[in-house]
Amino acid sequence: MFSEIQIGNPIFGVITLKAWLKNRTKTQVITVCLLLIGFIASMIFINNNYELYDRTIVQITDVQEINREDQVDTHGNEDEHVTQHIVGEIKNGSGKGELTEFDNEYIQSLALDYELAAGDEIFLAQDGEATGDIKRDKYFVFVAWIFLAILLAVGKSRGALSALSLLVNAVILSIALDIYIQNPSISLSLITLGSIIIFTVLSLLMATGFNEKTYTAILTTLIATGVSLVIAYVALHFTSEQGLRYEEMAFLTRNPQTIFMAGLLIGSLGAVMDVAITLSASMFEMYEKNNHIRIETLKKAGYEVGKDIMGTMTNILFFAYVSGSIPMLLIYFKNAAPFGFTVSMNLSLELARALVGGIGIVLTIPIAVYISIFFIRRKQAKL
Amino acid sequence: MNVLVLLAIVLFALMAWVGGLKGVRSFIALFINFLIVLMAVFVMNDPSGNPIIIALIACGFISAVSLFFINRVNNKTMLAFLATIATTVILIFFIIILTEQSMIYGLGEEESGEITTFNVHIGLNFVQIATAVILMSTIGAIVDTAISITSPMREIYEQNPEISRKDLFLAGIRIGRDILGTSTNTLFFAFFGGYMGLLIWFKDLDYSIGDIINAKVFNDELLTIFISGVGIALVIPIAALMSAYYLKKKKKNVALEDNK
Repeated sequence: MFSEIQIGNPIFGVITLKAWLKNRTKTQVITVCLLLIGFIASMIFINNNYELYDRTIVQITDVQEINREDQVDTHGNEDEHVTQHIVGEIKNGSGKGELTEFDNEYIQSLALDYELAAGDEIFLAQDGEATGDIKRDKYFVFVAWIFLAILLAVGKSRGALSALSLLVNAVILSIALDIYIQNPSISLSLITLGSIIIFTVLSLLMATGFNEKTYTAILTTLIATGVSLVIAYVALHFTSEQGLRYEEMAFLTRNPQTIFMAGLLIGSLGAVMDVAITLSASMFEMYEKNNHIRIETLKKAGYEVGKDIMGTMTNILFFAYVSGSIPMLLIYFKNAAPFGFTVSMNLSLELARALVGGIGIVLTIPIAVYISIFFIRRKQAKL
Repeated sequence: MNVLVLLAIVLFALMAWVGGLKGVRSFIALFINFLIVLMAVFVMNDPSGNPIIIALIACGFISAVSLFFINRVNNKTMLAFLATIATTVILIFFIIILTEQSMIYGLGEEESGEITTFNVHIGLNFVQIATAVILMSTIGAIVDTAISITSPMREIYEQNPEISRKDLFLAGIRIGRDILGTSTNTLFFAFFGGYMGLLIWFKDLDYSIGDIINAKVFNDELLTIFISGVGIALVIPIAALMSAYYLKKKKKNVALEDNK
């Protein structure tokens, strides 16, 4: 928690808690106290919630490596097969408190299994003789707190609003998917369109409040998303989806095309909103500074801002999508799969997402410029 | 025609139309970055290399391309580059600890079903690969935030060269606050858009909250979002601090030269 304090004031370097407290308002002190209490309480809870689980949880107390042998596959990939003898304490259910012993086998590259150490908490497999899964809830909660603390330390109340906005969006997404699963008659496209409107309106209002630049950004986001939907749809149909490999989504029990389209739109929504609000905010700011600014000057300035952010914004989406495929690419290459096949199997959907997102980002720029100008013209006419 | 080729042509046309020469450069940068990722994957194929080091080097190249190729070398891109590198190095320790502890490496049950014909025990270190992946998922957002801080800070400084170092720093932090929310939002939607199928699958198979919150794929995705958020938040004070120090120091040198 101290690191949080320092990050908020790095210019002062390391300062004592006392000196820090002196410079704070009462609300800030109370907020920090409440957050600390929340943090400690939830960490205690999440580290002692064993009884909430039906699956048997074991805390490992002793680990001994009993066997290690080399193995080589048909492609010459060398690996090691390791067997660990595990002693652990059962933390829940009827056998609570008892010790249990089992063997944990893993392959050194750890693609599918786990190397266990004393102190780890795991879910036992159904038969009670192997590792099922890892108890990860505590890490999830811990990192969520770090995320929140850093967001608050740097962003203060704005950070709190961003965190809240993410939470609200996650809940809306979950509800939307529930509606989709329980009502097969409603199409996913319809639900996606509905949620996109709610996401956009809520996120942007929470980010910049009720004012013209927010309305501009909302309108821009919806139009840009609509236009990129049409472009994506036409492109997919014009090429009859040649080059897209849905096998990657093969585990789905549903039509992958529809889900892919829905993900395509939701995936680029955040970036489109980002560009829309950046442009409308800077254009309205220029207008506030000089109410009689010429429309031509404003338009040119808007495009300049747009050009500046276009490259890095498309990069964000590109890396967010493509990096996740690296482990799969490696597995394909190591199994001597041909290059073209590997790339199309693992990257076609990701690249399509990144490209459609990029198209949305670039389209947003002129749309945001013209809608801002429309609103600013109306204001200037009233002057 | 291949749908990816068509989409790439549309994107190129739009970028050239809206952004002119700079738009063309942005598109080429995107393409170069794709090649860098592929190169990094090729190098990672060698079991004796360390995927984390490879990812760090790749991130250095990626930020150099995104900053210097699109915007040319000048003090704002240089500062953004240094801030990105500093943030990446700090962040990597956090990611390493987290990947190891929460064991989010390797493939989840949900992912491994599709590759039954392949051998996945390929002698590479999947713990380090997972760390590398998280770092590379975040790099785009960190670079974007860094340049969004250093660029307006130089404007502020040029418009008001008498501004104190502390005020300049605080101005940078204020700009950062505006970006923080939208950047985390961008990543949030990007990841959820990409994992729509998985989320529907969780719901279809009636995963309980306990199952979801402990699942490897879910944690991998959510922890990546959180770590990206931490990275974005970290680069703000780092970039602001570096800019404040550098710009004010430069001014002192100029003042000295004037005195001569």
